[in-house]
Amino acid sequence: MITLKNIEKVYQTKSIETVALQNVNLTVPQGEFLSIMGPSGCGKSTLLNIMGLLDVPSSGTVEIGGKLITSYKDKELAHLRNEKIGFVFQSYHLIQDLSVLDNVELPLLYRPHVSAADRRKRAQVALEKVGLSSRTGHYPSQLSGGQRQRVAIARALIGMPEIILADEPTGNLDSVMGEEIMQILLDLNRQEFTTIVMVTHDEQMAQKTERLVRFFDGQQVSDAKLYDFQKA
Amino acid sequence: MWNRKKSNFLLITEIFFSFLVLFGVMSLVIYNYLNYTKPLGYDYENVWHISLRPNSDSTAQNRLVQEQLLQRIRGFQQVEAASYSNSNVPFAFSQMGMSLSYGNAKDVQTNAFDAQDDLKDVLRLQVREGRWFGPQDDASTHKPVVINGMLKQKLFGEEDALGKLIPVDDSTHYKVVGVMDYYRAYSEYDADAPAYFSRINLQENNNHLWGSLLLRVKPGTGVAFEEKMMKELSGIAKDWTMEVATLETMRQSKVRLTLVPMIALGLVCGFLIFNVALGLFGVLWYNINKRTSEIGLRRAMGATAGQIYKQFLGEILVVTTFGLLLGCFFAGQFPLLGVFELSPEVYVTAILIAVALIYILVISCALYPSRQAAAIHPATALHEE
Repeated sequence: MITLKNIEKVYQTKSIETVALQNVNLTVPQGEFLSIMGPSGCGKSTLLNIMGLLDVPSSGTVEIGGKLITSYKDKELAHLRNEKIGFVFQSYHLIQDLSVLDNVELPLLYRPHVSAADRRKRAQVALEKVGLSSRTGHYPSQLSGGQRQRVAIARALIGMPEIILADEPTGNLDSVMGEEIMQILLDLNRQEFTTIVMVTHDEQMAQKTERLVRFFDGQQVSDAKLYDFQKA
Repeated sequence: MWNRKKSNFLLITEIFFSFLVLFGVMSLVIYNYLNYTKPLGYDYENVWHISLRPNSDSTAQNRLVQEQLLQRIRGFQQVEAASYSNSNVPFAFSQMGMSLSYGNAKDVQTNAFDAQDDLKDVLRLQVREGRWFGPQDDASTHKPVVINGMLKQKLFGEEDALGKLIPVDDSTHYKVVGVMDYYRAYSEYDADAPAYFSRINLQENNNHLWGSLLLRVKPGTGVAFEEKMMKELSGIAKDWTMEVATLETMRQSKVRLTLVPMIALGLVCGFLIFNVALGLFGVLWYNINKRTSEIGLRRAMGATAGQIYKQFLGEILVVTTFGLLLGCFFAGQFPLLGVFELSPEVYVTAILIAVALIYILVISCALYPSRQAAAIHPATALHEE
């Protein structure tokens, strides 16, 4: 579960102060698939970064799994990101020099107790889940956009995180590929009870999730429950 | 990092060549330093050298003048001892050599020096075994020689050298009457090479004129005496050309001759290494800028700032190690093949110092960029792609 209380994020330069988020209060229960929508620059990605512990709010508190993480040091935050959170980005963020298998293994490199053999095995399992087990030796440049995003999802789920944060995961894909990726995320949420927070511009994709929160000018303007996957 | 073959290859090549340059310069520096730390085998302070050139062809007249000069010099109160010698006196630019053989030791290239009995006192030579020359050698059947430790080792190994006869030609033998530890005449930076002294007997060598005269003066003897002495000597040897110099001055000339090229080489090497450092710094900086997105991603995947720092530092150290291993392989051939006949100690020390310097250089160049990489804010880095 993610709980944000009175979150504010202000970017300050010498002359300008930009308020990216203002008075955001949001709770994402365990296993929920939440989508966040809003125009460009409304603070969606900033919110996702704060949820993903990649950025800190100017004020307010963040709780992950009931633990207040405001006072966490870099090492503890890194550990929490590694153990609890998986990331999927619009531009995939795959390392071009690494093979598909090596890219997927990446989060486990920062878990010292996981052996190299175990990493390899789990990467293969993750790639099977996204239908890419035949591409393990390929490099990102040899894959289509949809395949790259599937690699990114495999990388996000290899560490079996409780939460996946997806920043416009279908934004760079055509509708067919977008549907495929969305289906993978939905399956993950329904079958493995993974909490997913997805930022999107695509109304159709957002309508497939359980809950839709809309933002405008750094403020939460609506919060609508669409489905209850657990009851369905 | 293994997949960035091209940039790694360039870095490895750069480090390999830097290592070889450093290894070369270090070998030279260490060789000279090790020689410098060895004893010269004589005391050059308060020793003057007079070079003598007669301008007439009359041998009998010149021999007479030669004896008169020596007598007069010995007569000065300020002179403690004086001896004729060949022109290859300490720190001179003139050298004389002989090839000596004894038993299985064939053609040992040896520096040859001629000395009167008094040279021992002039240069304060220390004879380790046996004795220096003396009147008892006047009646000797064989020409007496005093050899240095290096010649003893080359010719006789562990055997006792005293009394041994070294063949010079079919009818002549040198008889070893004494052994001294060291005699490194030409420069403080020269290696300890085989050397021997043979005795000058002015009565015996009737037709020979000696080009150099070495004299030990009392401490504090200065220019005033030099002028007085040269004036008197010019009176005896009217048409002779005579020049006087202290061994200290001659030593300094020799030191310059060794140090100037070494310093010049050091400066060139330093400039090269500075450029390599700039290049390394630039490459690392470029790599980090190019990999900002990767840094952000790794942070998002759970890497701490410290792990990013160690990763970048570790990668360059691994690449450096490859360059150094290649360099060590080539440098290692020098002691194995005995190139330039230098002691393996010189090469091994040079390898170790060059390796340490390259690591220090690389770490110095990598510290700041790696720290910058670790300080990159993950959210910003991920946003940059």
